[in-house]
Amino acid sequence: MVKFIDAKGLACPQPVLLTKKALEQENDVTVIVDNEPAVENIKRLGNHMGCTLHTDKQEDGSFQIHLSREAGKSPAASLDVSCATGPLVIAISSDRMGRGNDELGYVLIRSFIHTILSLEPLPHTVIFYNTGVKLTVKDSDVLDDLKELEKKGVAIIVCGTCLNYFNISADLSVGIISNMYDIASAMAAAGKLVVP
Amino acid sequence: MKDTEEYHVILFDSVHHALRSEKILKEMGIPHKLIPVPRHISSDCGICLRFAAHLRNRINEALNGRVEIREIRVLE
Repeated sequence: MVKFIDAKGLACPQPVLLTKKALEQENDVTVIVDNEPAVENIKRLGNHMGCTLHTDKQEDGSFQIHLSREAGKSPAASLDVSCATGPLVIAISSDRMGRGNDELGYVLIRSFIHTILSLEPLPHTVIFYNTGVKLTVKDSDVLDDLKELEKKGVAIIVCGTCLNYFNISADLSVGIISNMYDIASAMAAAGKLVVP
Repeated sequence: MKDTEEYHVILFDSVHHALRSEKILKEMGIPHKLIPVPRHISSDCGICLRFAAHLRNRINEALNGRVEIREIRVLE
């Protein structure tokens, strides 16, 4: 039997919670939602629970998602539901993480940047400004991590004013030189802005 | 960096030992990378030094007797 859920008009995380509950009772579930984040969250839930998925966009702008759980697959324990309505953006404002001790701060920022690679999902954009830009130039200890992020589709934007100030524009080795318009826009459009 | 390269990590009991090792390896021009200790390995200090497996002997020689290391192990 197909379980049918109308989750239109419900605020996050209601649609995904209803879907999860339904999938615990039935193997086939159809859910209707009216916004993209809900679609993404339900898709993530479906993948998490080992479902095959099929999404139809309806004429009224809503989305109908069919989830079919394969027998024998049990749901994994935890699931992160993101209710953010925009992309994850990380702003690196310094080549240190935290204040107090520079040597330690440099250890932490390298550790942080390496760890971004294992975030799920990856950030949409990573912005570098002030002394943060020093991490994007040649001989930076995190260049390999940043290149890997770029290869995976993460936008790396680097403050041109800052590169110019430190006189290291010619040494930029990853990402694209950008201006305050792009930086402010990327920050303003973020669903979540992380500043380590 | 090649994905196929096998890596080893040096684990430390103290961040200071890790930094001292990093300094020595830097001075000797031996490639390495400071990374967070992977989740499945437990360590007090939280950071470790990763290096390509073929450098193990050089690294051993460089650090032996100069800095306190907890262990070197294969990074899985």
